[in-house]
Amino acid sequence: MALLEIDDLHIGYPTDNGVVELVRGLSFSVEAGEAVGLVGESGSGKSQTALAILQLLRPPVRILKGAIRFDGRDLATADERTLRQLRGSAISMVFQDALSGLNPAFNIGRQLTDVIMAHRRSSRADALKIAVEALGMVGIREPESRLRQYPHQFSGGMRQRVLIAMAIACRPKLLIADEPTTALDVTVQAQIVELLAGLRERLSLALLFITHNLDLMSQVCGRAVVLYGGMLMEEAPVAALFASPRQPYTRALLRCVPRLSDAPGAINSIEGAPPVAGRLGPGCPFVPRCALQVAQCVERPPERVDASRRVACWRAEG
Amino acid sequence: MKALWRRPEACIGLILVLGAVLMALLAPWIAPYDPLAIDLARKLMPPSAAHWMGTDQNGRDILSRIIWGARPSLTVGVLAVTIGVLGGVAIGLSAGYVRGLWEQAAMRTVDGLASIPMLIWAIAVVGIVGVGPLPIGPWTLPNESKIILLVGILYIPPLARVTYGGALVESNADYVRARRMQGASRLAIMFGDVLPNCLSPVIVQATLLIAVGIVVEASLSFVGLGVEPPNPSWGGMLSDARKYIFSGEWWTYVFPGLAISLSVIGFNLLGDALREFLDPRRAAGISVVA
Repeated sequence: MALLEIDDLHIGYPTDNGVVELVRGLSFSVEAGEAVGLVGESGSGKSQTALAILQLLRPPVRILKGAIRFDGRDLATADERTLRQLRGSAISMVFQDALSGLNPAFNIGRQLTDVIMAHRRSSRADALKIAVEALGMVGIREPESRLRQYPHQFSGGMRQRVLIAMAIACRPKLLIADEPTTALDVTVQAQIVELLAGLRERLSLALLFITHNLDLMSQVCGRAVVLYGGMLMEEAPVAALFASPRQPYTRALLRCVPRLSDAPGAINSIEGAPPVAGRLGPGCPFVPRCALQVAQCVERPPERVDASRRVACWRAEG
Repeated sequence: MKALWRRPEACIGLILVLGAVLMALLAPWIAPYDPLAIDLARKLMPPSAAHWMGTDQNGRDILSRIIWGARPSLTVGVLAVTIGVLGGVAIGLSAGYVRGLWEQAAMRTVDGLASIPMLIWAIAVVGIVGVGPLPIGPWTLPNESKIILLVGILYIPPLARVTYGGALVESNADYVRARRMQGASRLAIMFGDVLPNCLSPVIVQATLLIAVGIVVEASLSFVGLGVEPPNPSWGGMLSDARKYIFSGEWWTYVFPGLAISLSVIGFNLLGDALREFLDPRRAAGISVVA
């Protein structure tokens, strides 16, 4: 049994003209200790999926259908108390806006110990020890004195490290990292990704790495799930995905990754406009931009399973 | 905190406020005479070594009455603001964080309250229920408590709005999202995370409203709806001194008038200084210069 199992997940919100679906029948799983990348462009539904796992979708957005099982427990039917206990202890999340993810009114020691004490019955002194240890693990030097400092005394990269320390302090089984490096500059991005990869090994936690940056993803993850228009396009081991993408969208996406060998100024992009949620038919969302389309594409493509890969495309070679 | 006291107007404000507070607290020990002691042989005496601020029409020492008069003024100001802060913060914070139907109901009620003019409302209610102690069941409500309650209720709207504005912004901040992901309950986030970040403007507003309370108490005492004579109050003393404006006994009205003005100026200066100190945009500007 996988640590996290997502089964036919539909996320959406009601409008006067019917329901708008942001995620449409997504299924995938994450094994304990495994690093999975959830890749897709803006609006592909990857962040909504992450929020749905924590049951923190913002109304009116909600789970329409499907199951999310964590450690065999269905999170969609869990009560708020159980969820609060899980959040931050068994399932943690780090997200994009590290710059404002810390409360400016309190020093980081107070914020770290608050999280620890909320999930473990420990005194503030014990919580402080755990906090120092967590800060050390994310590579913050002199953690004891840093504990007394306020968020504005930390740089962006350091703040993201503090947030990661808060996320791992209670030793989660699953860490969801939602674009954890987007707000940071490139050199810091690499450090944070390295840190996450290191922590995953040391603490043997499962990592769900959500990003639109294929390069970063390939540095951390063993397996990738590619989303487009709220649907799974392809799932494959990262090496296989890069070597031989099978779905037309995945291929187009990989062509867009800039390489040093490219001519100066040449940036590849995918022709056409990204899909608009709510204006999609039942078929493959990539059809309007797909060069390989056939008449069948207006019907939902079947997910073809082949050893370790899944491809949702009518044209995918079996 | 040091930067705050480097500004001269902040120091003046603090000194004036401290002066008024000390007068109120230490009145029994620092007042040279009994503020109620009538000595008709020494009435309307000009300031002298024995009576620094002279005596009034009943021969009472004006300095002693001003010192004792600080009590009702500050009590009304401070306690009314306390009511306003408790009510305003509770309403504004919950409306800004919970949103929805409660937000609409609470903030529209607050808007309604805000449309009531403070002095007219206080005069009307005290005029109807009378200035005497008001028995309510097993308790009796002295007149000052009535004024505190009346003013305090009308202090709720400005404080609720200030808190509401802050709570709206802070509730959408990323650290609130982060706290939810860490498993904090909504109640804990509201009081533990959102509230501390909305408090600065509330503190400023509360300080400024103390000054308004002092004026309201003085005004009510002036028209005879506040502190009951012969008990000393700044407004009541001004009222007594009206007769002497054209007859030359200037000390009867100048000193109580100064007491009101200086304490109000003191709280206003302090409030402004706190605003400059606590306003993050200002603070950023200062740090760039320094």
